[in-house]
Amino acid sequence: MKRLLSTVSAGLLLAGPVLAQQIPVVEKRLPNGFRLLLVERHEEPRIAGGWVAHVGSANERPGITGIAHLFEHMMFKGTPTVGTKDARRDLEIIDEQEALRDQMRDEESKMRTALRKGEVTEITSPEARTGRYKELEEKFKKLVEEERGLLVKNEFDRIYTTAGASKMNAFTTEDMTGYFIEVPANKLELWAWMESERLFHPVFREFYAERDVVFEERRMRTESTPVGRFYEQFNAMFWDAHPYNWPVLGWPSDIPAISKKQADEFYALYYQPQNITLMLVGDFKSAEAEEMVGRYFGRIPKGTQPPPEVITLEIPSYAEKRYNAEAETNPQIDVLWRTVASGHKDSYALEVLEQLLNGRTGRLYKGLVLGKQVSTEVSAGHSAKKWAGYFEISAEAKDGKTLEEVEDAVYAELDPLGREPVPAEELQKVKNNFAAAEYRRLTSTFGILYRLIFAEGLGDWHEINEAGARIQSVTPEDVKRVANQYFNKENRAVGHYLRKAGSGAAGDEDPEIAALSPEQKPMARQLIGSLNQEQDPARLKELLARMQTQASQGDPKRQQLAKIIRHKVEQRLAELEPKK
Amino acid sequence: MKNRSVSLALALSLLSAAGMLSAADIPDRPEKLHYPPLTYEPPRPADYRVALQSGPIAYIVPDRTLPLVTVSVTVRTGSYLEPKGREGLADFTGNLLVRGGAGSKSAEELEERLAFLAATLNSSIGDDSGSVSLNLLSKDLPEGLALLRDALTAPRFQQDKLDLYRQQAIQAMKQRNDDSATIHARETESLAYGTNFWACRETTGASVAAITADDLRAFHRQWFHPANFTVAVSGDVDRTAILAKLEELFANWPFTGVKPGPIPTDTKMAEPGVYVVNKDVNQGRVTVLLPGVKRDDPDFPAITVMNDILGGGGFTSRIMNRVRSDEGLAYGAGSSFPGGWTYAHAFQAGFETKSRTVAYATRIVLDEMAHMTEAPVSDEELNTTKRSFIDSFPGTFNTKARIAGQFATDELTGRFAKDPEYWQKWRGRIEAVTKDDVSRVAKERLHPDRAVILVVGQKEEILKGHPDHPVKLEQLAGGKLSELPLRDPLTLEPLPPTPPKPTP
Repeated sequence: MKRLLSTVSAGLLLAGPVLAQQIPVVEKRLPNGFRLLLVERHEEPRIAGGWVAHVGSANERPGITGIAHLFEHMMFKGTPTVGTKDARRDLEIIDEQEALRDQMRDEESKMRTALRKGEVTEITSPEARTGRYKELEEKFKKLVEEERGLLVKNEFDRIYTTAGASKMNAFTTEDMTGYFIEVPANKLELWAWMESERLFHPVFREFYAERDVVFEERRMRTESTPVGRFYEQFNAMFWDAHPYNWPVLGWPSDIPAISKKQADEFYALYYQPQNITLMLVGDFKSAEAEEMVGRYFGRIPKGTQPPPEVITLEIPSYAEKRYNAEAETNPQIDVLWRTVASGHKDSYALEVLEQLLNGRTGRLYKGLVLGKQVSTEVSAGHSAKKWAGYFEISAEAKDGKTLEEVEDAVYAELDPLGREPVPAEELQKVKNNFAAAEYRRLTSTFGILYRLIFAEGLGDWHEINEAGARIQSVTPEDVKRVANQYFNKENRAVGHYLRKAGSGAAGDEDPEIAALSPEQKPMARQLIGSLNQEQDPARLKELLARMQTQASQGDPKRQQLAKIIRHKVEQRLAELEPKK
Repeated sequence: MKNRSVSLALALSLLSAAGMLSAADIPDRPEKLHYPPLTYEPPRPADYRVALQSGPIAYIVPDRTLPLVTVSVTVRTGSYLEPKGREGLADFTGNLLVRGGAGSKSAEELEERLAFLAATLNSSIGDDSGSVSLNLLSKDLPEGLALLRDALTAPRFQQDKLDLYRQQAIQAMKQRNDDSATIHARETESLAYGTNFWACRETTGASVAAITADDLRAFHRQWFHPANFTVAVSGDVDRTAILAKLEELFANWPFTGVKPGPIPTDTKMAEPGVYVVNKDVNQGRVTVLLPGVKRDDPDFPAITVMNDILGGGGFTSRIMNRVRSDEGLAYGAGSSFPGGWTYAHAFQAGFETKSRTVAYATRIVLDEMAHMTEAPVSDEELNTTKRSFIDSFPGTFNTKARIAGQFATDELTGRFAKDPEYWQKWRGRIEAVTKDDVSRVAKERLHPDRAVILVVGQKEEILKGHPDHPVKLEQLAGGKLSELPLRDPLTLEPLPPTPPKPTP
């Protein structure tokens, strides 16, 4: 492995020279357009293999959002010879299923009309189905039953698993779709066979069951988590024009409407050889691997029309945006600024800036958690995507501190970065960590594959070897300049998340409730929960008046409870009618 | 096409490189491929093991390819040693050992120095062990070892850092009912092992409020002693040189600790039945629980194979095939039968699905469990599972840090003492499992009628079921259905049902 000396700014007496470690990548191009990246490593008898398709949710359009991700799922369903006992009948059934689905889509159109008219409230509930839809669904189920008789269930996975492969998975982002696996070193040819077969002629069997799986994934990741839906909406607010504004998982209306025909078109356009980069890292000889990959992947015809790139550029942000949510979470803020795409000349200074802010010795932790003590957790991150980027700072408020205090404290940390150059030692600390990370990333074969997939998916794998030197050459002036340029009010969106009242999680931290007897606590909590949801001051005043008249009655324990409730009513009133 | 000559292969590669080759040479099925032989022998603990004169057993795995070193000290301690009313003490001690200052350095000075060196020094104490781990550039190793010694022998447990960590812990507790996954994880433990079992004892606002810096000091001095350590070193070190440094690291310990007593094993699973926690989310989380197994049980290899076929093997397992691929009911679905090393860890099968199909998907999982006990598995299933375990085995030791770490863990848990050839014999033990073994352990261990089933989600919607699948949740697991309350996040006392929404 080559080691090369990178440049370090002068005057840093505390640090020795920093060595940057290159990853020795061999790059090849197949005649049909595939790019191939090879990294030999002979530590263990395994090979990590993967490929990235240069397509993600940013390539979608309204109506089919989520298709890039659903498509990723479909790539595991097999080929004409893998996954079925009867390829011919299997394909016939798929066609018959599509014909039925076309009729079902007509009914789905009627169901959407019923939804618009308010005749049903939830289009996916079993009660929303029309009579005709149910009949068609019964017929469809019969075809599924017949197909199931021919299926060799998840055979694509079974072949790999039986061969001792592991870690098989895939992922989809806004920019890319990555597929990866690790195989024993003697089974490189199996990898070439399996991956070229599914790229050459995938069969999208069980399409509609898998579409349901994807909707369950959406429920799991976004809809049934405390803040998933809010983050999704905040993201949609952040991007005005750019297709990054819809979720990778797709909108809930779109996922159940995606058709197999649309998936076929998507495949033809975006899974052409010239839109895919293949990668191997591990225990093989490059010349042999190149020959094998050429033989297996070279047979896939080059596409006829180049896949379109994402044209829409984000428009400038003219005003600050604010998002105020109440969710089942501790109070927290999230601030996003528009920045730059991956590989932009400013992205390196922004990465350095991120690390100046992050960590237990970073400026945010020192300022917000240790210094002003307005926050318990805080983090910064620069996310440079393929077509655009953003810088994000998130912080949880310390109990008793307001989100406004937290937000002000964040700006107070950013402000000096735009006015004064960063001290040399502080900058060197950050650079030392980037330099050490160059080594740490080399400890795992799979880790190298993962980095290659991401760097290539964002536009250029060379970044894994070139970014290090660019980061080391960032100057205090660069940091000051980018802080000034991007951390502007007009350029940001601010999310405030308050704890939703009455979400059953307030706890006993309230000393007044803690003092009550165990029998009284539940009642007190329930009453306070209702009070906090009351929006009408007049009703609270009426309640207060009624309680005054009963104040002298009852035993001392009850009077104690009544006193607390009265206090809480007064507090809620003060919230609703703040003193001017 | 099976016996291609070398020259043909060359010709083919030339043709393919020129893009002139059709699929003529590519077989239509992967079984027709031939692979060169691959032999693999796992590393042997004895090659790396050293009994240090200063007390600990150390595993040294040199690797000079990168200028990095990892030194990891595993400690015989755990939250099971916490006194009642001080729940959280082990975790607090673990964190503040390195985050609260050490030796001559304040917390702030220590953090600055570590950050400047691009070194990580982390520490934690879990249920049944603790770990202090240093990773840094090898040029800084002498300084790093001095900092490590300070952390191990002279942590300062700075009061302001204790107060901060306490505040963070209390705020984290407040999120205990926010995510259905958190609720589900907590109630799964309680149902599987009983709320009185040590591993189910939870921190409360009161228990962490009671923890003082003196408690941390006492807990640290009690357990952090070389006699309770095992050490794993990997990376850019010379074996002889690092041994001398380790002797220095552990010599002349300034205090005497004690050896912890045995870890209690008095678990008690809940009565069979369905337990529902009402939570307003549109997807129900389900776990099916049965009594588990210890990993040194002679049947553990057979149980591992059986579970892999049932639900452990991902897309080659029956539960995944039925619940996910066939029916599209869940994103994740499967089962686990982990072997505990101290107490028997429970069998769990689970998934998440929309409220209306919770009962139906649960029925499928219970049916698959029953099916395992009724009919033998197929040759293909058995072969897939065995080949998968055996041929992916080299991945177990895929980094030098993992070799050192795995052997140090085996030392701590007693596996090395009891079964020194464990990794050498492991593949043979999997290979020896027969279809009869699988059937026998399934019959012995899987009892769907006696399962404890936990469901977290919208109770009312879940109980409605689905018109296409006429199974009701209350019919499962012997027909006993009860509701578990949400718990106050700070006291864990049961909360009353959510108050009805006020009318507008």
